[in-house]
Amino acid sequence: MTDVRRSTRIALYGYGLLVLAVMYLPLVSVGFAAVSKARYLTFPIRRYTSEWMGAALTSPNVKDLVVTSLKVAVTVTVLSVILGFFGALAFARFQWRYRGLFQKLILLPIFFPQAVLGLALLIWFNALGVTPSWKTAVVAHLVWIAPITTLIIAIRAYSFDPALEEAARDMGASTTTVLREVTLPLLMPGIVSAGLFAFLLSWGNFPLSLFTSGVDATLPKWLYSRMVSGYTPQIPALGILSVIGSAALLLVGLALLRLLRRRN
Amino acid sequence: MGAAAFVRLENITKRFGTFTALDRINLDIAEGEFLTIVGPSGSGKSTLIRLLVGIDDVTSGTISLDGTRIDTVPANRRPTCMVFQSLALFPHMTVGQNIEFPLKLRKMAPDARRARALELLRLLRLPESYYAKRITQCSGGERQRVALARALAFDPRIIVFDEPLSALDYRLRKTLEKELKDLHARTGKTFVYITHSLEEAMVMSDRIAIMRAGRFEQIATAEQIYSQPVSRFVASFMGEVNLFDLNGSDWGGLPVKLSPQAQAAVAVPPDWRGAVMVRPELVRFLAPDETADFTLNGRLHAEYALGSRVQYTVQAGDTPVIVERPFEQRLGSRSGDPVRLGWDAGAVHLIAEVAHGTA
Repeated sequence: MTDVRRSTRIALYGYGLLVLAVMYLPLVSVGFAAVSKARYLTFPIRRYTSEWMGAALTSPNVKDLVVTSLKVAVTVTVLSVILGFFGALAFARFQWRYRGLFQKLILLPIFFPQAVLGLALLIWFNALGVTPSWKTAVVAHLVWIAPITTLIIAIRAYSFDPALEEAARDMGASTTTVLREVTLPLLMPGIVSAGLFAFLLSWGNFPLSLFTSGVDATLPKWLYSRMVSGYTPQIPALGILSVIGSAALLLVGLALLRLLRRRN
Repeated sequence: MGAAAFVRLENITKRFGTFTALDRINLDIAEGEFLTIVGPSGSGKSTLIRLLVGIDDVTSGTISLDGTRIDTVPANRRPTCMVFQSLALFPHMTVGQNIEFPLKLRKMAPDARRARALELLRLLRLPESYYAKRITQCSGGERQRVALARALAFDPRIIVFDEPLSALDYRLRKTLEKELKDLHARTGKTFVYITHSLEEAMVMSDRIAIMRAGRFEQIATAEQIYSQPVSRFVASFMGEVNLFDLNGSDWGGLPVKLSPQAQAAVAVPPDWRGAVMVRPELVRFLAPDETADFTLNGRLHAEYALGSRVQYTVQAGDTPVIVERPFEQRLGSRSGDPVRLGWDAGAVHLIAEVAHGTA
């Protein structure tokens, strides 16, 4: 990059910082709201407190919310990775007649407006006589997230030499052995990334949960309802804690991916 | 070959949709033979070996091994092993784990596996320290050897090679060709090798099968294919040779003079159609007082140095003639100089024109 002029380089750095600021400043202001002693956020902040954070961490109500969100996110992660794994094989590894159609249909749900998708699914659950709960929210999340995991694993599957599976089979491996010894380990980085995405997207999802989780409130759903009525600084505190949790998970996931990459 | 063929492919046809990749192929392979199948891309050679190892299924026909049919046996239970063009080494395993893979599937004890893997590393002239190396840390030539070691660990009756050397540079390829031939001699295994390079086939093989559009054009020893190709296709596949059209006694305007011996060597019926093949190294530049069975006047066109040999093109009438001689006997002449060429009656080989597919 020695041929980039100094002024150009400064401009590029400036632009980069601006983009980051636009993305992260709102989050920083939520952070301030969470540690401000005042009930409503005003600048400059006169007194800081950790009491809202403490309240958020110890509240039994919050514990229920976290448990529900975790139940949904973990179930969605497991199911969407399993669906995505086999979907990706169909998407990228096998030649079959309706593959082109499948590739388009499977990606379409990603582009549905989520609120509309949530409402549509709610009407569908009602028509089927299913009472909405965290389980129906899982189904709703899967409609949106399984296509994403399929796509992520498929990208990995595309770079996969089919001769590897053929060679394993040629040397005596059964279909399940090929899957266990060759296909799965080689797709593992894709599977980890997909799982990470699935968890984070489900954990933070609001519009689908709003319509389909019934009386079981997830964290984003509860945050929204309390913002509409009954705001306390416990809300931004909880929001920030949720973001910190997600970021920690992301770091763990990235470390895992690095480990896998070194092994491959 | 008699009824005791080791491997016998009978009437093999393979179709992909409406495309016929292999058209009623017959082939016998002897035990311990090094057979190379040569053909251009799309000739069906890859398809053939994929049927042999069972990755793909035959459309019709039978494959038998020691008199037992194997075409209905799935790939993972056939005593065949393929070394793939991409080598198909498992990138998530070490060199040792790759070699031990077929042994592990056979539930061999870890100690015995390891001992065998180390033995194979020695056989392939790789240091034992490679056992714990990652595949990604190995060079192209080392990967070749690991792939071979893995195939030998599987201990198949037949090892099949799908152009494994095609991605390597020229010098390494030449070294590995010789190593492979040497390995074949030491292990006594049956090798079936495919390549698009006849030169590569000539170095290694006991027999060569030349393939074209889903059929065998000629199956013979390297020497026979070299001196007596059955068709223009085979002759031209071997590289540069002189092929002069001959229709009865008409040389198509080539100003060639024939001695009585030459007349006898190319005596064919008047309705015969085909070509006269003369290898470039058998064509001589004649001194003014020198004579040969076939003589030809022309003008020197160009000179190309080919390392140990020099190649000349001579324009004789409308026909270019290729002449090769050792580098030490380079000609002093320049382009455009008149030259006289000659070759002996024994140097010619006649190739009759036959409708393709009836040979």
